[in-house]
Amino acid sequence: MTGFAELLNAEWTKFRTVLGWVTGMAVAALLVVLVALLAGISSDQQGSGPAPTGPGGEPVTDSFYFVHRPLTGDGSVTVTVSALESSVPTGLDGVRPGVVPWAKAGLIVRQSTRQGSPYAAIMVTGDHGVRMQHDYVNDTAGPAGPVRLLRLVRSGDTITGYASADGTAWTTVGSARLRLGPTAQGGLFVASPQAVEGLGTTSSVSTAAFRDLRLQGGWAGGEWTGEQLGAGSPSFAGYPADTSGSFAESGGGLTVTGAGDLAPAVRYSLPTAGTLGNLLTGTFAALIAVIVVGALFITTEHRTGLIHVTLAAGPGRGRVLLAKAIVLGSVAFVAGLAGTVVAVPLGVRLARAHGVYIFPVSASTGLRVAVGTAALLAAASVLALAVGAVVRSSAAAVTTVIVAFVLPYLLVANPFMPAGAAAWLTRVTPAAAFAVQQTLVKYPQVANPYTPYNDYYPLAPWAGLAVLAGYAAAGLAVAAVVLRRRDA
Amino acid sequence: MSPIQGIVVAGLRKRYGATLALDGMSFTVRPGVVTGFVGPNGAGKSTTMRVILGLDAVDEGIALIGGRRYRGLRHPLKHVGSLLDAAAPHPGRSGRNHLLWLAHSQGLAARRVDRVIEQVGLGPAARRGAGGYSLGMRQRLGIAAALLGDPPIIMLDEPFNGMDPDGIIWMRGLLRSLAADGRAVLVSSHLMSEVQDTADHLVVAGRGRAIADAGVADLIAACSGGRVVLRTTAGADATRVLARAGATVAATGRDTVTVSGMPADRIVALLGAGAVPFSEVSAHRATLEDVYLELTREAVEFRAATPTEVTR
Amino acid sequence: MRAALRAEWTKLRTVAGPRRLLLGMIVATVALGAAAASVVTCESAGCGGDPVRFGLIGVMLGQAPAAVLGVLVIGGEYGSGMIRTTLTAMPRRVTAFAAKAVALAGVVAVAGTVAVLGSLLAGRLLLPRHGFTAAHGHRALSLADGPTLRAVVGSILYLTLIALLSLGVAAVVRSSAAGIGIVLGLLYLLPVLTQAIGDPHWQRRLEQIAPMSAGLAVQATTDLRLLPLQPWAGLAVTAGWAAAALAAGALLLRVRDA
Repeated sequence: MTGFAELLNAEWTKFRTVLGWVTGMAVAALLVVLVALLAGISSDQQGSGPAPTGPGGEPVTDSFYFVHRPLTGDGSVTVTVSALESSVPTGLDGVRPGVVPWAKAGLIVRQSTRQGSPYAAIMVTGDHGVRMQHDYVNDTAGPAGPVRLLRLVRSGDTITGYASADGTAWTTVGSARLRLGPTAQGGLFVASPQAVEGLGTTSSVSTAAFRDLRLQGGWAGGEWTGEQLGAGSPSFAGYPADTSGSFAESGGGLTVTGAGDLAPAVRYSLPTAGTLGNLLTGTFAALIAVIVVGALFITTEHRTGLIHVTLAAGPGRGRVLLAKAIVLGSVAFVAGLAGTVVAVPLGVRLARAHGVYIFPVSASTGLRVAVGTAALLAAASVLALAVGAVVRSSAAAVTTVIVAFVLPYLLVANPFMPAGAAAWLTRVTPAAAFAVQQTLVKYPQVANPYTPYNDYYPLAPWAGLAVLAGYAAAGLAVAAVVLRRRDA
Repeated sequence: MSPIQGIVVAGLRKRYGATLALDGMSFTVRPGVVTGFVGPNGAGKSTTMRVILGLDAVDEGIALIGGRRYRGLRHPLKHVGSLLDAAAPHPGRSGRNHLLWLAHSQGLAARRVDRVIEQVGLGPAARRGAGGYSLGMRQRLGIAAALLGDPPIIMLDEPFNGMDPDGIIWMRGLLRSLAADGRAVLVSSHLMSEVQDTADHLVVAGRGRAIADAGVADLIAACSGGRVVLRTTAGADATRVLARAGATVAATGRDTVTVSGMPADRIVALLGAGAVPFSEVSAHRATLEDVYLELTREAVEFRAATPTEVTR
Repeated sequence: MRAALRAEWTKLRTVAGPRRLLLGMIVATVALGAAAASVVTCESAGCGGDPVRFGLIGVMLGQAPAAVLGVLVIGGEYGSGMIRTTLTAMPRRVTAFAAKAVALAGVVAVAGTVAVLGSLLAGRLLLPRHGFTAAHGHRALSLADGPTLRAVVGSILYLTLIALLSLGVAAVVRSSAAGIGIVLGLLYLLPVLTQAIGDPHWQRRLEQIAPMSAGLAVQATTDLRLLPLQPWAGLAVTAGWAAAALAAGALLLRVRDA
């Protein structure tokens, strides 16, 4: 029996001495870079300003109707939300009543009216009861039941939210420490985010009626100021036609109409923004190259009869296959990594230079995307090798593997495909591995079509890659059995 | 007999990058004889055949089949039947079906297919997938394809490859009978021994051109040079007697000497007069192998290092 | 030409590969169409879409075996060396190539008809159960409907054109694996790349020239105004791709050594 290291060396020599295969791998790396370049320079979003950034550095939506006055030092505000009604557009003319689950009306204290300012707020929502939220990404559910009384208390830098059904028994919903400075802005707010309809979203507008507004502590006197914050923000979808934000005082109560949201930005709030996954669309092109090389690495041997020589030189057929897989996978991994480490920074720079907002990621996430994409290419080439060993026809092997990757992706992009079916496709097919390129975060408090088409995958990044690795491993096992049973 | 009926190859020149594959290859193949096309590997035999069949284009020169270019033939298999080195039928298609599509491409009936299957002795194997054929069976299938159109010209590239001794004997008989029918037969081989009992005429290729184009008997005679082999136990005496009479004598074995420049009857007379004992006097006959080696010595491109060179 | 055509037809029918691929094309097309029709709900799709196009979605998968067949018809011969036998028997290369194309187009069109009609039948049976009913403004799929008939005929032609495109590409590259890689890249990759393009103008341009996005426009029966290309114009783009590939293949086959 030949030593396994010698077997590996033999397969590596075989691989590197065929110019076409080496070229194929180089082309794969190049395609990743070229498509990133193309995606970077083809975008032209000049004019749309940058998305506001929250205290945590993430892009946010900070657009809502704000009725406010300054608050210096400690103080509290209490109010009853007597009604919250939402409307959505009806085709071309006017609006009709509709349910906007995350429509928000309540009390807020924030550092300033600057976009992305720290804040804490307590609110009633369209369909999710009372919530305490702060700094865009944090969300705490309040007591269940018909709770309509809200209170927000500032004590130094700590804001605490309370809710009550009757005005006597108060429940603490949550508290938050913010950097507020001596004088904050506080008051009432109404937000009405986009509502999910079918596979898309629609803008909405909501109106809340407030009464029994009571202020204590360092509130400035005088009139309330009402304004739409973040009216020009790229993450604000605007009001439905013929509607606008407003507030009116009447008989001790206030009626406020607003649109927008206080939330982390998601795909649909920044439709023109890009992700690392978008910049790495060239992965598909590279996939085709590594799949072709992977299939040829074994089918060529069958066609030319070289397999007899190979098997004579290393008679353990399973070991030969394993050696091939290791050599092929390593080369594809290196090629993929070379492609991604160039493509990602280059694509991001180019896209930003062309005014495209790219969802920011941490260094570790960026590394995971680059390494994961290289691993995806490696596993795909090994899968092609395994399928090639079983079907022994390069064309059939290449087609099977490419279709297994690309078809789910195309089906997911079909507007008819229900979310459940799309999620299933990206969970059980090799296309699940694209989850490793995912950088967007799902927020339960933000309504958004969290579908693979919108770069939200049902599986965690490494879990998705594991699905593909499972296919490749299973393929190799089947191929080893088939190779052992069949005459070469 | 006009050469227009056979194959005419004139001044073929073809370059693949830096390699000159054909460098003025010219010869003719006449009907009624078996022409052997021999030469070392890389001498241009296969390329010439591919050019004759219109598969490869040449930079210069012309190859004609019965006076016409191959690519202009309407049903080419009725004009020339050929077997190329790598005749590879689809492994999943039976031999019979392989012949069937070829027959259809020439407007021939399926009857003809069964006739040639019988002729080459493929028998029941013809209905099995060609993937399971031995090399010899594949060669027989290729011969069947060549005979399919009952053509006046047959051209076979290395037909003896992979054949067992029975097959080789059968192939020789087939080639002779095809020529006896008046067909022009061209058979290539890199081994002289394969064609020497079959061919009437030889074209020896080397470095892209025909370095000899002659009848087998003429070639041998030209290389034999009228030498006589003498078998004797008294080699020294014989050499002395014959050399004194003006012959050139060389010892070529333990008890043989080769004499040149003197006819056999004069040698016998001299030895008898000198009472030198001898057991045999015969005309030296060069084998085709000798001729071939002589002719191609210069033309071999990849000659193995001789043992002395290796050990030195 | 008749003899060459007969020879190519004999070649196609005497091995199992083409039969299996054509069967695969039918099964893939109908199965994907039926699977999609059984998971979709009118509500999830907003009931506003194009049920004909959805019913014929299987063509997206069925084109893959058609492409493999197209590639193998000539790529397989290059792989085994049989191309030399073919060209020896039929030295008029363009005629031989045309015979291959006609034979291929014939068998793919016949199998494609079965596949597309099967898909339509599956859609007709399944879609009304998932809310695509007259109440939502959707009639059952029927050939009596002009646009539906156009979508069906167009889909059959589309499958045929994809097989011919593959034949042309394989003749150019003379390798099954490279050929199928290029064809599937053209078909599946361009729509994916389209999504990476930020500029809507470029995006629309790409959709107009990509063989799959353009060609499948022939399946559209609603909202024709919004299409980047009108149905027959879209199919004409695919036909242009196929014609260009065939022309390049024929030219190279003619001038290159076999």
